Amino acid sequence: MSEELAYAGIAELGARYRKRALSPVEVTQALLARIEKLDPVLHAFVTLTPDRAMADARAAEEALRRGDPRPLLGIPVGHKDIYLTQGIRTTGGSALLADWIPDSDATCVGRWRTAGTVLLGKLITHEFAFGIQFPGHRFPPARNPWSLEHIPGGSSSGSGAALAAGLVVGATGSDTGGSIRGPAAFCGIVGLKPTYGRASRAGVLSLSWTLDHTGPMARTVEDCAYLLQAMAGHDPADPASSRAPVEDYLAPLRRDIRGVRLGVPRDYFFDAIDPEVERAFNEALDTLRRLGAEVRDVRIPSLAATHSFLLILMAEAFAYHERDIRAHPELYGDVLRERILAGALVTASEYMQAQRIRTEICHETAEVLRGVDVLVTPTTGKPATPFTQAHNPDFGFPKSNMPPFNLTGSPTLALPCGFSSSGLPLSFQLAGRAFEEGTVLRVGHAYERATAWHARRPPL
Amino acid sequence: MSDPEELTLEEVRERARAAGVTIAETRLAMVRKLLADALAAVRALDSRAIKTVEPAVTFAPRREGGHE
Repeated sequence: MSEELAYAGIAELGARYRKRALSPVEVTQALLARIEKLDPVLHAFVTLTPDRAMADARAAEEALRRGDPRPLLGIPVGHKDIYLTQGIRTTGGSALLADWIPDSDATCVGRWRTAGTVLLGKLITHEFAFGIQFPGHRFPPARNPWSLEHIPGGSSSGSGAALAAGLVVGATGSDTGGSIRGPAAFCGIVGLKPTYGRASRAGVLSLSWTLDHTGPMARTVEDCAYLLQAMAGHDPADPASSRAPVEDYLAPLRRDIRGVRLGVPRDYFFDAIDPEVERAFNEALDTLRRLGAEVRDVRIPSLAATHSFLLILMAEAFAYHERDIRAHPELYGDVLRERILAGALVTASEYMQAQRIRTEICHETAEVLRGVDVLVTPTTGKPATPFTQAHNPDFGFPKSNMPPFNLTGSPTLALPCGFSSSGLPLSFQLAGRAFEEGTVLRVGHAYERATAWHARRPPL
Repeated sequence: MSDPEELTLEEVRERARAAGVTIAETRLAMVRKLLADALAAVRALDSRAIKTVEPAVTFAPRREGGHE
């Protein structure tokens, strides 16, 4: 399979399918062969579904012959392994569920299936979306295609690695404290955490109900827009699901960004930032200015208390896992077990205070977003973490630039903006008002068209 | 981040006992750091000065002929 084909996007594949220059069966066979070649080292997949993939591809080919216009028809994808898949094991990256085969699909899985995607397999996740697999775990952790000695980010680690390696065209991710945007940043791809309530969490293993988001990951902003279109919308099975109308996410990509007001919050996001990340971020701001955006500094002082989000996350995670972790602690990975048990140590008062802080952050952020259209910040303060550091039990849960927008529920897009001197991807994030995914996609797409970072390939 | 000494290992042990969970001694320091970092902002808070949380439930006017 040519590199060019492995990294083709949704619109390009669709155009070639419809010209009969390429078929979904050919692409699926080629990607399965590429996975067979590269994944023994990358470990992006936890379960491959070649029979299902070929059946999906043949069905797509038949539909294309009939003139079916669905844009995702024949597009090969993978699902993060906390998304339930009917008849296909869903492990959550955990020994506890190592052989569990659900009898129904998550809503988002079903929607992508209805859209005509081809399912290549399930992508490894950090265990229960919270803890990287340590050596000796039932499932090995995914590796970063840009450097095998570095983590691909988490928890949607397999999704990030598979996209960067050209093994899938789109993938699902979930984001409770940055699990879509972190892997997007570390793997040099694009990840969108939609507004809380925009994409269903029904049938997705929970980490923390009030912070969990589902969303798409891809190699370009445009592909994220296509994937979100097929994912978004009300779902009565998710109590947090919104009835807000689903807009056309492709249409804003055709508009330029002249006059769009961008705010750079100077609180919090630049504490202990790597100089290379800061330089790449400032260059991204210059590019956005050249494209006609107005950039100004803004202040959100309450963000200083962001790290209290971990009290919410840990308490809710323990509530979700309590029965299983009390009954089978040995089936939880080393370190993850203690992270979840730590949630039992959070008092009711502390949980409530953290929610009050969250309310303050939501109010201040909403106020700032009355004066600007989008907030812009570095996605992470540093490039990808080495495994040697991530596998140190004392590494903990470092302060991060991503949780503020889990607390506020704002739609947030992470996309590449450069590389470190050691060749690792760098990224920035765009956060908008609730249900204004179109605006962050528009700004991200304009930036992407003006730069070439997204077109770089890892040295595989 | 907070000074981890604000939360002692003994306090972590007491909290674990009260919650009825067992945390390995080798992981107590890790849990203390995790909790202490997360608690720093809460402990710095004037708990009477900040906003209350949003209501957990709000009600929309009933539509004609049925419940929302």
